Amino acid sequence: MKKEKRDGQGGIPAAITAEPSPLRLFGVFFWISAVTVGGGYAMVPVIESTLEKRGWTDEEKFYDLFAAAQSFPGPLAFTTALMVGKELCGAAGAAAAGIGVILPPFASIIAVGALIGRFGQIPAVAAFLDGAGATVAGLVAAMIYKVAKRRKWNLYRIVGTIVLAAALILWPSGSLPIFFAGVALLYFVEGKWNS
Amino acid sequence: MELLELVWTFFKVGVVSFGGGWTVVGLIKMETVPRWIDEAAFSSLVAIAQATPGPVALNAATLVGWRSAGFLGAVLATLSVVAFPSLAIAGAGLVGKRLKLNSGALTESLRSGTLAMMLMTLWFLLPKGGIDPVLLALGAASFAITAFTKINPLWAIFGAAAINMGLKLAGF
Repeated sequence: MKKEKRDGQGGIPAAITAEPSPLRLFGVFFWISAVTVGGGYAMVPVIESTLEKRGWTDEEKFYDLFAAAQSFPGPLAFTTALMVGKELCGAAGAAAAGIGVILPPFASIIAVGALIGRFGQIPAVAAFLDGAGATVAGLVAAMIYKVAKRRKWNLYRIVGTIVLAAALILWPSGSLPIFFAGVALLYFVEGKWNS
Repeated sequence: MELLELVWTFFKVGVVSFGGGWTVVGLIKMETVPRWIDEAAFSSLVAIAQATPGPVALNAATLVGWRSAGFLGAVLATLSVVAFPSLAIAGAGLVGKRLKLNSGALTESLRSGTLAMMLMTLWFLLPKGGIDPVLLALGAASFAITAFTKINPLWAIFGAAAINMGLKLAGF
């Protein structure tokens, strides 16, 4: 094997251990966002392994940041990028990582949207789009099934989830206050039963 | 004003978008169909949003913004979705030190809340009234594939699209 020039850190090539900077964070998140299809849950493991390879975080530190990101609203890939950027390079890092995540999907969606606007009336294209659209409810039902299967259920979680879902369906225009009132109530109940 | 309402709608979506994009797809549909986009177009746009890179909620916002007000609409809708999350994370350092929350209870209550939002999404995505039996079968098949196998849901989306195109071209 050819001997390469190494720096002191456990034989990792110097080029990979380049210090994180806002520009590099932008590049990393732009790239991951451009090549990963399937939303936040598909992107997070890719982000983790990329950052670890670069020596910017280790697994434990990353998943702490990820857990913190999950307690904020917002697309998961975006909030994770903000938390990681903030941790590594402060506010400038957070902004760079966040913009890096947003740009590729924005560009690709605009391109696809323009194509559909132009060719969407052609019968074959319309049938293709209808077929894709038909899967959406099935995919959501499958995700609910998977989340529900993994959940540790007890009586007040079952009742809370069902009552909250029913309230959201009956009064969708009030979903913002209903969601937060429901979560606040459940937070109180969780704290009381688990203390 | 149309653009201001678009901004306000997607700002609200950003505020409640806990636990992944699918939780707010129902809310987005409630707020935008049929005003800015029709029902069939919405479903196919969401499928496309899932099949292109990027978070589903963000992609859906960009697409609806694009359809309703062109490039400016797309930019504004996208920024509106991430506005509140960005402010929340920026402000968290200040509030976090004063407010001590029970993180286990917070996680569990958010889990119940996001699952309820996903049930709301499912409710508003289910077809009401008459539906093409081919599309119904494709929807059921995509559920089975995603729920019970490890096959990437992208194959379900593109498979269903290709099958429906083939059948319609063959004259079914």
